[in-house]
Amino acid sequence: MGASDHVGSLMTGRIFSALVPFLCGVLGVILTNMPLSLGGGLVPAPLLGLIPIYFWCLVRPDLMTPAVTFAIGILQDILGGGPPGIWTLGFVLAYAVVSRQRDVFAGLSGPGAVLGFATAALITCATGFIVMTLLYHMPPLGPLVGELAMTALFYIPGAYVLGAIHRHLVGPLRSDV
Amino acid sequence: MVNVTWKIARRSNAQLPLAIVLALAVVLVLLGKAEGGLFDRARMRVTDWMQPLLSSLYAPVAGFNRWMGSTDELFRVYQENLALKDENARLRQWRNLAVVMEGRAKRYQALLHAVPDPGLNSVLAHVIGRASRPFLQTMVLDAGNSHGVKPGEAVVDASGMIGRIYLAGNHTSWVILLTDLNSRIPVSIATGNGRSLQAIMTGDNSAMPLLDTLSQIVTLHEGDQVVSSGDGGLLPPGLAIGSLVKTSDGFRVALLANAASSEDVEVLGFRKAPDALPDVSDAQLPAVAAGLQPAPPPAARTTVPPVAMPLPPQAATPPGAAAASVPSKPLDPNAVQPDGNE
Repeated sequence: MGASDHVGSLMTGRIFSALVPFLCGVLGVILTNMPLSLGGGLVPAPLLGLIPIYFWCLVRPDLMTPAVTFAIGILQDILGGGPPGIWTLGFVLAYAVVSRQRDVFAGLSGPGAVLGFATAALITCATGFIVMTLLYHMPPLGPLVGELAMTALFYIPGAYVLGAIHRHLVGPLRSDV
Repeated sequence: MVNVTWKIARRSNAQLPLAIVLALAVVLVLLGKAEGGLFDRARMRVTDWMQPLLSSLYAPVAGFNRWMGSTDELFRVYQENLALKDENARLRQWRNLAVVMEGRAKRYQALLHAVPDPGLNSVLAHVIGRASRPFLQTMVLDAGNSHGVKPGEAVVDASGMIGRIYLAGNHTSWVILLTDLNSRIPVSIATGNGRSLQAIMTGDNSAMPLLDTLSQIVTLHEGDQVVSSGDGGLLPPGLAIGSLVKTSDGFRVALLANAASSEDVEVLGFRKAPDALPDVSDAQLPAVAAGLQPAPPPAARTTVPPVAMPLPPQAATPPGAAAASVPSKPLDPNAVQPDGNE
């Protein structure tokens, strides 16, 4: 009885810990797309949904799978209001590049880690720009560069928060793996 | 050692889902291009659901934005006060002139039996959110379908037009701003010599939209007034939009309304009324004018039950040919036979 309880709680913990990266991505997308712009739109909203994708793609890629990345991207597209699919493709492409060069990105630290994330954000924004230009019309570069800069800037506190969540929540629940 | 083996195994397995997901993302982009409103319903449901939260969160953000704006204005309040007094004096002169001209225009309309402008019904709405993103500049209003707001309707504030409704949910609606990349508005430019030019005003995410499809031979001047033209029947004509400003890449429109600071707006419900048919007297009927007896009203014919007969192929003649086959002798209403022959 005690053993079955233990197995049951272990399974619940594993499922919950597997959901945490996805939920963090959802929360990031919701925060990004709250239609509340500070300074009358002068400060662009960062792509907060990309931070959990990048973070767990490096730390625990089994928790941040391509399907989870796709789901976070779709949510960003639904709430963002732009042409459908642009952010989904951007997130998945960034995920593909980071997961293929995982050892290189994971080896970065300090300012290099921020630059690594900025590379992923650049891939996402460049994908959006190219798709928008090819299928619709060329968007101005200024707002896109502003969003890229804000996203890279927000990685520093974002990675700190996600590191704490991983250490205190995800790590202990998945310690048997 | 265990970790390395596990990592390698996982990586090789992840390639297939990644390729599938990548292909799905490409398909989604292409599908989005073909069907632009793919996520519209989901988007509106989420916004409707979040309306109470947005309303409560927007107040402190708007207060913060106002405070930011006021600190900037604090340093130039004296100069602004002088400029406002000057502008107020000039506007009073213009107001007097406008009242006189309005009376004159009404008299002319009465003399000419001009068709009056269609009435506008408006819905007052509050801004509960605004967002400026690389591919979309929008604001969210707390009025939707249940208040009579429909997609395509114009949104104005006290200064002028801001944009038009892009999506309308039950309790909220999204506004596509005039400055947005996807905004295209037919406008009319009132030039100084009394002529008006038609153009398309195109947003490009900058503060001042561009003017497109202008004729190459027209001469524009800075300060020329830009209003909505009403072409297409979606927007009411004559909505104040802005004035022309010359820039390095041509003429742009300096908007009268500042969408970043608008709090209360009006959504103008406008449907161009169909042109009313003029009343026709019996004497004006073509048959009477040609000296023929008028045909009886349809009710007189229904006394005889019609007989269903298949028409021969040659009976399917165009309307013009049928009119040409009208008999030249006077029509006798009592001579209508069940088989249609006299």
